[in-house]
Amino acid sequence: MRHSVLNRILAVTVVCLAVASPALAKVDLVTLPAGKRIQLTIYNSADLTLARDLRELTMKKGENVLQFSWAGTLIDPTSLDMMPKRFGDKIDIFDITYPPRVRNLGLWNIRSGVSGSVPVEITYFTSGLSWRAFYLGTLSNDEKVMDLEGYVRVSNQSGEDYPDAETRLIVGKIHILDQIAELAQREFPYGRPFPPEILARPAAVPTEELAVRRERAREAVGLVAAAKPKEIKKEGLSEYFLYTIEGTETIADGWSKRLPSFKTRGVPVTNLYKYEEDRYGENVVRFLSFKNDKEHKLGDTPIPDGVIKVFRTVDEQAHLSYTGQAGFKYIPVDEDVELNLGAAPDVRVKPKLMKYATANYAFDRKGNIDGLDEITTFKVEVENFRDIPVRVEVTRNFPNQYFELEKSGDLGKFEKVDMDTVKFTLDLKPNSKREFEYTHTQYHGTRQDRSASRS
Amino acid sequence: MGKMLKCLTVTFVLALVCASASARTKLVALPERDATIIRLDNPAHTLVEEERVLTLQKGENQIDFSWKGVHIDPDSIRILILSHPTKVRLISVSYPPGEDALVWNIYSDGAWEETVRISYLLTGIDRLIEYKAPTAKDESKLDLNSFLVLRNFSGEDFMSAKVILNYGEAFEKGIQHEETKRMLFLSSKDLPIRKVFTFDAATLPWDPEKVPENVGIPVTYEIKNSAEVGLGKFGLWDGKARIYQDDGHGSTIFLGEDRTPFVPVGEKMKLYIGDSRDIVVTQRKMREERTNITRNKNNQIVLFDTDEVLSIKIENFKDKDAVLTLIEHIPGQWEIVKCPRKYELDDAYALKFEIPVKARDKVEFSMHYQRKNVRP
Repeated sequence: MRHSVLNRILAVTVVCLAVASPALAKVDLVTLPAGKRIQLTIYNSADLTLARDLRELTMKKGENVLQFSWAGTLIDPTSLDMMPKRFGDKIDIFDITYPPRVRNLGLWNIRSGVSGSVPVEITYFTSGLSWRAFYLGTLSNDEKVMDLEGYVRVSNQSGEDYPDAETRLIVGKIHILDQIAELAQREFPYGRPFPPEILARPAAVPTEELAVRRERAREAVGLVAAAKPKEIKKEGLSEYFLYTIEGTETIADGWSKRLPSFKTRGVPVTNLYKYEEDRYGENVVRFLSFKNDKEHKLGDTPIPDGVIKVFRTVDEQAHLSYTGQAGFKYIPVDEDVELNLGAAPDVRVKPKLMKYATANYAFDRKGNIDGLDEITTFKVEVENFRDIPVRVEVTRNFPNQYFELEKSGDLGKFEKVDMDTVKFTLDLKPNSKREFEYTHTQYHGTRQDRSASRS
Repeated sequence: MGKMLKCLTVTFVLALVCASASARTKLVALPERDATIIRLDNPAHTLVEEERVLTLQKGENQIDFSWKGVHIDPDSIRILILSHPTKVRLISVSYPPGEDALVWNIYSDGAWEETVRISYLLTGIDRLIEYKAPTAKDESKLDLNSFLVLRNFSGEDFMSAKVILNYGEAFEKGIQHEETKRMLFLSSKDLPIRKVFTFDAATLPWDPEKVPENVGIPVTYEIKNSAEVGLGKFGLWDGKARIYQDDGHGSTIFLGEDRTPFVPVGEKMKLYIGDSRDIVVTQRKMREERTNITRNKNNQIVLFDTDEVLSIKIENFKDKDAVLTLIEHIPGQWEIVKCPRKYELDDAYALKFEIPVKARDKVEFSMHYQRKNVRP
């Protein structure tokens, strides 16, 4: 039989008041009832999970001692908390004691005004559970639209099984001071007045045990027969987004689970090829862009950061071809998304310096050169070897803002991006070539004053 | 049997029986792998698509897919329901600990046979392209034979698969783990070639007499990837090319080999076959003078022009006419004063001449130019 997590982690024992020395007073052990409900809130920006466990404890009127132990887990003992869910005004929790010379053990001292069953909620932080988002994109054959599938993959390396847990995922960046894994492995919960010893993680599970665990988890997976994939409810809270997975999930130790987060068909996308030597070297880099908004059939919630793998449908039987993958940052609602799919060999941009000259030398009082114009003429060839039309952005960076530009040829749309950057945007038909030229006059030294005063 | 075939097991879990291990009621025979596609159109990643027929029970079904010893990117694994796309649903995917495996949890509205297509990115299987090009004795044309080398070190055996490239027709081929296969992929006969001798003044010695060994002039064959010569349908992939020549005695000699980059449609494939010692180029700087000197108040030179003359001699010791591509470099700003030969600009600093030289003949000319606004 599988362990329920808290059966092992938190051996909660109610110890009779009559015995004075609490750490040794393992008298009158009360059988721990099974957990009623466990909820996991898993963060992805830190190795942190907030676990919330609801239990029924049988208390006696008067003073009770509750013993907790968490050996072999990755629980942060400083985060342990307990809250009665009923009889709140009749139950006083005095303290939690971490006794000397006993590791991974805590004793809660409680005075109860009631006798009998009391529901309590125990919360703590644990490390070893994690989740990440990832995505699969499928472009249409003409690459105008993309089916976007979002997934979350939840992994459990915590050393414990979590059966039938309400699972919630937090999207957002949390600020924490200490690593939970480190807190969990301290010899003393709050350390000591000199540096704590860091102990090793729990020993790796032997291979033969893995097979047993797999079977166990398979049983658990089979416990809930769902006729459709679970929905993930998304809501905003403060600076976070909370993803709540429908129903409960069983995530056995060592296992991970991929769950569909959303699927949007036909997201309009723009294919863009960019050439900018300062950023991408001599390669043309392929980008796929869309916006997290209604117009793009998205925009309900932010999209957590992750990696997307992009495929293209090549025929009517939905056979695929792999295009590439890109990692992206968290995308707020209404924000543009630009996926960098890497170097594209089938679109080429070749800028070539065709003429170089200098002119208008200026001299200072000592007869040394203190200004000149540098005139360069570039020919830019843009070629599309693909069998679909493409849009290409050619960005050119200049040393500073003191310049003039003359353009000629088939240059498409011209735009000044900032004071020393210009951009040419060209649409190319399948298997075609366009060519343009520009002459760039860069003013150096005192010639810059001339340029500045003119503008 | 493919390893993956061995590893794909389907487990049915009866939805209603859910208490314990006994819920796993049936373990069925492994489904055969049907139509398999190995897609090699992305040079960096190989995509495999395979179809399998699963015998599904009504309710929940668990399908194990494992790839021990095979390098698969787990996030790339996709399953497409083909027979009953609206009645069969993928519920979740679980990854067991310490194993290269996953378990698909699939819900079916009925008990039937379901064809699914599983696709994934597989590492260790790729393709190379090789060219073998026999040339006519007179070096006017060659046959371009393109071979596909399929290398499978993925850990996975493919008994039969449709191999697709973005190049030519797809074909059926089986390939086992650690097996390499080379096949003729396309053959283009009698492609006209241009034999080009290139002297680049920036890389070769100017005066061969001063060099102890012969100065070899690089020789390349140029083949245009265009429809008029029978190519031009797709870009020619990068690969190694071995060039042979008909020796006129019913045999061939090996001329040399080169690695060609990807050649898009409309571009030329340039194959360097070796160096010629029968074309000799000698060039000498005959004049280099400073003119228009500007000095500062301390009488130091701050700006000047130059006046330069280069004399070039090209000798052809072969008994055949040849065309030499001569590349001269002039840095900075310059002007030609006099040059009897036509040239094209390769870029602002490189002048390209095409100079025909008859058999056992020579060509001599001088190039007079000025460099402008030179700073010391």
